[in-house]
Amino acid sequence: MIWVTWRQHRVQALAMLGVFVIVAVYGLALGLWMRSAFDSRGLGPCLTSSGGADCGAAISSFARQVTGGATLPLTLVMFAIPPIIGAVVGAPLLGQELERGTWQLAWSQTVPRTRWLIVKLGLVIAGLAAFGAAVTGVMTWAWGPLDLIGIRLTPPPFNFEGVSLTCSVLCGFGLALLAGLLLRNTIGAMVAGYFAYDIPFVVSTLATGPLHLLTATTTVNCAGTACSAASTNSTPPVTGHLGDMVTSVTHAGQQLVVSYVPASDFWPLQFITGGIYLAFAVTAIGTAVWLLHRRTT
Amino acid sequence: MTHDVGSVPALRADRLGKRYGHAWGLRDCTFEVPPGSIVGLVGPNGAGKTTLLALTVGLLAPTEGQVAVFGERSRAQDAATLARVSYLAQDHPLYRGFTVADMFRFGRSLNPSWDAGLAQARMAALGIPLKRKVKSLSGGQQAQVALTMALAKRAPMLLLDEPVASLDPLARLDFMRDVLAASAESGLTVLIASHVIAELERLCDWLLVLNGGRLQLAGAVDDLLAGHAVLTVPRDAANRSLPGRVIERADSDRHAAVLVAAAPGLVATAAARPGWAAGPAGFEQLVLAYLRRAPVAAVHPGPVGTSGTAMAS
Repeated sequence: MIWVTWRQHRVQALAMLGVFVIVAVYGLALGLWMRSAFDSRGLGPCLTSSGGADCGAAISSFARQVTGGATLPLTLVMFAIPPIIGAVVGAPLLGQELERGTWQLAWSQTVPRTRWLIVKLGLVIAGLAAFGAAVTGVMTWAWGPLDLIGIRLTPPPFNFEGVSLTCSVLCGFGLALLAGLLLRNTIGAMVAGYFAYDIPFVVSTLATGPLHLLTATTTVNCAGTACSAASTNSTPPVTGHLGDMVTSVTHAGQQLVVSYVPASDFWPLQFITGGIYLAFAVTAIGTAVWLLHRRTT
Repeated sequence: MTHDVGSVPALRADRLGKRYGHAWGLRDCTFEVPPGSIVGLVGPNGAGKTTLLALTVGLLAPTEGQVAVFGERSRAQDAATLARVSYLAQDHPLYRGFTVADMFRFGRSLNPSWDAGLAQARMAALGIPLKRKVKSLSGGQQAQVALTMALAKRAPMLLLDEPVASLDPLARLDFMRDVLAASAESGLTVLIASHVIAELERLCDWLLVLNGGRLQLAGAVDDLLAGHAVLTVPRDAANRSLPGRVIERADSDRHAAVLVAAAPGLVATAAARPGWAAGPAGFEQLVLAYLRRAPVAAVHPGPVGTSGTAMAS
């Protein structure tokens, strides 16, 4: 079964390896470039000594330089890779067997079809998870300098750091797998899986973005012009802690009332977004296994 | 492979039925086939042939009744059922991007009893290189690769669904010759679903006729032929005056040719009447007669079975 799975998915595996190599080369170049821009401003020592309080200008100048066209491919990675990889790997797994009639060959050998599917799923999912983790690793490293000074609670970094990318790849895979079983057509299943992926994408983006599920509130003392000048996008944030995402600031005399998402909520938010993707993935894959199991009746 | 011919049938269906939604694909199907038979399975499209094969190999689960291979009931999702039966589906599906060697490795990976020597020897004998991709092979060669996979599985029962429908006449002959040789060599029981009646006549010693999901005729070909006769009778002879059951009747100006299912003795007696004559029924004539009449609900286990209604046309 291991050989069979490898033989049937090796083209996809090599394609994923190719995608990873491209991402890795780009990530390496981007990461090195970011590090040189970071170091040329002496940001490392400044952050260490002052915790960011004294390096506002350097941070802003660094951020302006590195968050432009050079990071556009990152956005493409985070938007395009999960549904495309998922569709390319997921759609043919059942869709092509049904489309070409080879299911009659595959399922009349001595391995019952449910075991055939579960072993295949186990191996393919392991491969996809490894791919997701590898891309996440490269991207997280490349984006590292920006994470030191900025916010990784919003896209682009939020969607390719942590567990988000890996879970969304599995989600795209599960949806295309189920589409293949229902449509019995590889291309149709790829298209259906690609567009169905929009649903978990929108749900998870809403849950971890505009809805601000984990917002905290704090008060910060201020004096004079500092009170009126305080805004949501100052560097470092008015909370005084790099990485916090300030969502609103209101004046109350000599105090600021600040609503914000603490930087430490990165992981809880990652688990929410990953959980949403995984819930869709598990539902779709579970439905496919169940439908295949009872197709005999 | 030896099986106790006396006691356990190679294939036995017992009131076997399969319903798809509201429609029955196969119903009330009861028959037995002895080991080592070459069984012809005939019927129009949608008659239930593929359903019967899929139930036997366990790709489908029956709605009612059961089918057993060498005494062991076929079950869906069951490795033991799959191991007893080799199934060559219609259009002999193969992975087009695989080489022949890949296909055999696929067979070896999924079948504990895989006979790699048999597979390689057959390819060598046929002159099909193992390195060739399946899609670069001719239709006849693809069918041979698929047959080889079915044989190398080393199951005692081989099911072939329209195995030669897409092949040219020469490839058909080669394919069927190989099926017969394999059956003779290893005592394989073979069930061939086919529309090509002439081919089945040449190959089969057992016959199953399905129509509208119902079994119309089942038995050893020799018994079936002996149990039917064509009577030429005066046109005014009523069906009830004829021996046995009337299967098909064709009236001309003065005479009627009637295919009857009747014991030879009864036929001989009838043929002795003045103006009456009897001749043997042909294989193709017999099959076509059973296919042409409206499907009969009850099963006729043999040529002169007493169950079921005589269909007078």
